[in-house]
Amino acid sequence: MIPEQNVETPVSLSMSPYSGAWTSSEASHLLKRTMFGPTFQQIQDSVTNGIDATIANLLTVPLINPPLTYESTEAIAAFGTTWVTSVYPTGDSQPTENTRNSSLSAWMMQKINTESLSIIEKMSLFWQNHFSAEYTFDARATYNYHTLIRTHALGDFKQFVKEMSVDPSMLFFLNSVSNQVFSPNENFARELLELYTIGKGPQVASGDYTNYKEQDVLEGAKILTGWTVDGMRSDTIATPVAAFNPSYHDTSSKQLSSHFGDAVIASNGATEYQDYLDVIFQQPALATFICKKLYRFFVNYDLTSDVELTVIPVMANTFITNSYSISAVIEELLKSEHFYDVSLRGTMIKNPLELIFSMINTSNSVPNFDLATNLEMYTNIYYFTSSLGQSYGAPPNVGGWPAYYQAPSYSKLWINSTYIKQRFMIGYYITMLTGIQVNGNFFKINALTLVDGLSSPSNPVSVIDDLCIVFCPKAIGAIQKLTLKAILTNGLPDFEWTTQYTDYINNSGTTTYSDPVRIRVENVLASIFQMPEFQTV
Amino acid sequence: MKRRDFVKNISLASVATPFILNDLKFQAIGKELFSTVKSAEGKVLIIIRLGGGNDGLNTVIPLDQYANLTIQRSNIIIPESNILSLASNPTLGLHPSMTGMQSMFNNGKMGIIQNVGYPVQNRSHFRSSDIWHTGLMDPSASTGWLGRDFDNSYPNFPADYPNTTYTDPFAISMGSEVSSTCQGVMGNFSHSVEDPTDSFNLTESTQANDGTYFGSHMQYLSTIISQTNAYGSKVQASATAGQSLSTLYDANNPIAVQLRYIAKMISGGLKTKVYILNINGFDTHDSQVSSTNVTLGNHADLLKKLSDAVRAFQDDLSLLNLEDRVAGMTYSEFGRQIASNASLGTDHGDAAPLFLFGTCIGQLVVGPNPIIGNQIVDQEGINMQIDFRDVYASVLKNWFEVPEAEIQPLFEHQVTFYGFLNGCSVGLDENSKDISKAIVFPNPAANQTTIRFNSQSEWVKIEILDLTGKSVATVFDGNLDKDTHSIPCDLTGVSSGQYIVTINKKSGVEMVKFMKVKAI
Repeated sequence: MIPEQNVETPVSLSMSPYSGAWTSSEASHLLKRTMFGPTFQQIQDSVTNGIDATIANLLTVPLINPPLTYESTEAIAAFGTTWVTSVYPTGDSQPTENTRNSSLSAWMMQKINTESLSIIEKMSLFWQNHFSAEYTFDARATYNYHTLIRTHALGDFKQFVKEMSVDPSMLFFLNSVSNQVFSPNENFARELLELYTIGKGPQVASGDYTNYKEQDVLEGAKILTGWTVDGMRSDTIATPVAAFNPSYHDTSSKQLSSHFGDAVIASNGATEYQDYLDVIFQQPALATFICKKLYRFFVNYDLTSDVELTVIPVMANTFITNSYSISAVIEELLKSEHFYDVSLRGTMIKNPLELIFSMINTSNSVPNFDLATNLEMYTNIYYFTSSLGQSYGAPPNVGGWPAYYQAPSYSKLWINSTYIKQRFMIGYYITMLTGIQVNGNFFKINALTLVDGLSSPSNPVSVIDDLCIVFCPKAIGAIQKLTLKAILTNGLPDFEWTTQYTDYINNSGTTTYSDPVRIRVENVLASIFQMPEFQTV
Repeated sequence: MKRRDFVKNISLASVATPFILNDLKFQAIGKELFSTVKSAEGKVLIIIRLGGGNDGLNTVIPLDQYANLTIQRSNIIIPESNILSLASNPTLGLHPSMTGMQSMFNNGKMGIIQNVGYPVQNRSHFRSSDIWHTGLMDPSASTGWLGRDFDNSYPNFPADYPNTTYTDPFAISMGSEVSSTCQGVMGNFSHSVEDPTDSFNLTESTQANDGTYFGSHMQYLSTIISQTNAYGSKVQASATAGQSLSTLYDANNPIAVQLRYIAKMISGGLKTKVYILNINGFDTHDSQVSSTNVTLGNHADLLKKLSDAVRAFQDDLSLLNLEDRVAGMTYSEFGRQIASNASLGTDHGDAAPLFLFGTCIGQLVVGPNPIIGNQIVDQEGINMQIDFRDVYASVLKNWFEVPEAEIQPLFEHQVTFYGFLNGCSVGLDENSKDISKAIVFPNPAANQTTIRFNSQSEWVKIEILDLTGKSVATVFDGNLDKDTHSIPCDLTGVSSGQYIVTINKKSGVEMVKFMKVKAI
């Protein structure tokens, strides 16, 4: 294993409820790990509300609106209405599909940009990385897949896997639709075990991966034979649905390996795969596998042997005893002493979505133009995140993004000579330059909203302190703070900033007074966005 | 001097490339002698990863097994009449879209190593990729096979690099990601390059490691930022100074575009030893072939991209007079099962062939054709015959001239060395046409090289001179018969750099420039 230099052992491995000080430091850690870009106000509210009420809030799932039509190339659904249950045009449906996919990617960015105090968007990203299906060739099916994730993201994992196994997008993604009795296709059956449920252990013999064998892949593929999808890209059917075709199903009894207690899955038609999943869910290795993945995503890429021996078993036990309730295991984790251990702050490099939305959301910056312009802005943001290596809805492979599984680098993989340049350029672009330009409109960070929302905006020392709480995982050095303050004040005495800010407040709506304030804050943000600290969470 | 200041100085200094000045110097002595290598900085290896698991049986087709292949994969098998033949190898053929590689093979510039894999094959993309990248079966291994070798030669990476001796990235990964093959203990030796002509300087910062995970990230980020600036300016200077002469590149083929960039970087003098490229999409569970024409489809498109791009690149290297310095190999995490599935595709399998390319190959086929049964066995793959780790070891030994004693410890199994890429003797072949001219091969050389020349029956003195004309070694001093002589020359005591071999004979003086390099 790679020797990670000088890494201190976490002070606490306890999963008991955290009972220490509840300050903006702890609250901001919680919100940054569970959201994409919490605002200063959200952090302060969480301090006031306390840990339990904040976590209760985080575990709620707000309703959101479906994606809307905004381009004229959509042939069926009217402008400004949703297309998610609209048929496709007869004939060439590709232009309509293209515009629906644009609308869908805009929607993915919009829901993160407008997230409330809830873990749901982060949790959805976790499951998108886990069940790593890409955009399929029917945007409605792709939307339904993301809706399925959102529905179960904090729910019953067993039910989640059952529904995901026959989700139309998934049926196409891993070739289940061509998995037939006469010629099984193993793709889904293999990934179901290796990546989605029980996980692959060390290879202990030929074809034996500790938790399952090649035999189980082969038999699993037979169990899953017979599934197809009706209505993909249809000009008559409003929603693609999974369909079971008994004549394509293998009706033999399927003999699982010793890792599943030599269980036999009897032929049982359309619900046979559920019988199989029930057997898989009897194996304790499943809870351990999923909890490790949750830990890596929410706490630290490094699963130390201490963590494996102490933290993971507690999580796995909670998962099993709560009938695979995802929210139960997440709630325990977020409330634990271990989660707030100071050595675990800033342990991860921000993924591209966290990077971009921690720039934008922290100032409540939301595109506020006409519908078409807004959604076009979001597709531009989508391209930003793609250029940094993370296209929502299109993980690079069936294992998700390598930053979540590739040892030894893990989240360091988000940074290399190409990505770091792009990260810096984007930060500069949306602060110092024009920002995103669509139809003659410009979208950049709303620096004034940001500074107005701080605890004492007329006090430059306080402004920098607050910005560090918002943008950095840990306190930064005194010299760094003085440097940032000098950028804010343009090197003048502190009272000059106070005067400038007070003039701006007293002359609201006058750009003569607001522009100098805005420009100084933009300069500070541009600098913060190039600090290594800002790259971590 | 503080590291940060140092890095800044490097990026300023790097604009002028010193070896170009040396070339000018040489021209005063005699231009022709030095035309072989412009930037003579050692050998380069190109690695192309075929991500997803390439179907070897539809790539390199064992024609003596064709009847049984028809039983196993009737819905995807390439019609015999479409398969491309290979010179001197009547029982092997290539996929019809690989005309470029066919011509390379027939010209002796392409080799095939059959049935490459490892014992007890693992069919997970991730685990198998890890095995191929680390070159180790140990599941806790985290360093790459090249990374370990680099670690031996360049200790304290990344903290101490770049520096005045090593100004250039050791490896370049084309695209936006780094390659796990180059993962060292403390950092990844590959520098990712999307567009080598891009210049963009980042704000540098110095952040200490405070001993936490956070601190390690701060140190990592600060190092990457500095390296991005320093390496980036070297890459840009080289790509700008370099050339690409082939007209065969297809601008719409991303691999061709990347290989063209590489040709420019190499010809522009970049001293990077390894370039890594990725082609994804070989996980052909379905629609591997088109439903209307089995010679077309996703797999055909991928192979065509690979084959066309490599062909163009080889052409470019030839035109740039760089062929002798560059070799390449492909790899994929596994082959696919012998029998196809009903979705016109194939599922994860075991061993598969890999390709070598370069001038030093010959019409090489290593290993026998795989044996295909006449009955379908569930999940059956191709058995491994050649361990991929031995391919790596042989590349290190034969191409980079790493001593065997340094190679064995990089792996956990007992290494077997094969003879491919051995002593790039193409220079020899080319010069055989004009046997009167003296040559030094291999050139560049690490520890050992050979000087070949003709003499009359006469007195001969061979000396190695440095660029100032000072003698650093006398290789031979005595009488010889009329013949072609090959005199081995031990370079272990000679420091890296450019030298001139002078062969003083009564019949005339010959001079050959050569480069002594550090073993990779």
